[in-house]
Amino acid sequence: MPHKVLIIDDEDDIREVAALSLESVAGWEVVTANSGSQGLARAVEHRPDAILLDVMMPGMDGPTTFRELRRNPATASIPVLLLTAKVQSSDQRRFADLGVEAVLFKPFDPLTLSDQIAGVLGWT
Amino acid sequence: MTLDEKKSTPGLTAALDQLWMRFLPEMHQRAAILESAAVAFASGEITSEQKYAAHSAAHKLAGTLGTFGLARGSELARDFEKSCSPEEPCSASHSQHLVAIAAEISAIIAARK
Repeated sequence: MPHKVLIIDDEDDIREVAALSLESVAGWEVVTANSGSQGLARAVEHRPDAILLDVMMPGMDGPTTFRELRRNPATASIPVLLLTAKVQSSDQRRFADLGVEAVLFKPFDPLTLSDQIAGVLGWT
Repeated sequence: MTLDEKKSTPGLTAALDQLWMRFLPEMHQRAAILESAAVAFASGEITSEQKYAAHSAAHKLAGTLGTFGLARGSELARDFEKSCSPEEPCSASHSQHLVAIAAEISAIIAARK
């Protein structure tokens, strides 16, 4: 069975390119959400194998969404990878300290995004 | 799947090009926000709302353009984002630099096929 990944990002272009990349390059199943609150609901509904989570979103931002995912027993064990355009080292340390699996950076290469995710999660 | 096989994934480039065309109006809109903010800043008339909008647009362009193969556009947008933070006063010496960056970003977006 293909891996299932939930992409949570408020930017339509990033969300669609990431989905296209994971579906067409890796053959994974993709579910998307355009906000933190929608992402929480989709995570419970679809039980993805991993979540790709944008950091800067209006309303519930990425770190808050991550904490809510961890608080819910239904989603607490799903690996989360943050996706951010922030490149300052102080931001990177702050994000890494949250306890996510990895921090990935925008812009990403659509050809290799799935390799990055698979490498972090040990998917072969 | 090997990297070579992935690189020849049929349709990926064409699909990315279709997405680019669909989101092109947003890219132009974000670039226009940068250009108008840079001009307002150079004339000393930038508002805090314009600064916030420009910072947000630059952040989005920095994250997006490289994903569509426009790495230089992402670098420039990141430079704009760093040079014009809403929390800090922009340095007057940056104004012409910001005008030039915004113009180059617009040109890069317009040139992508």
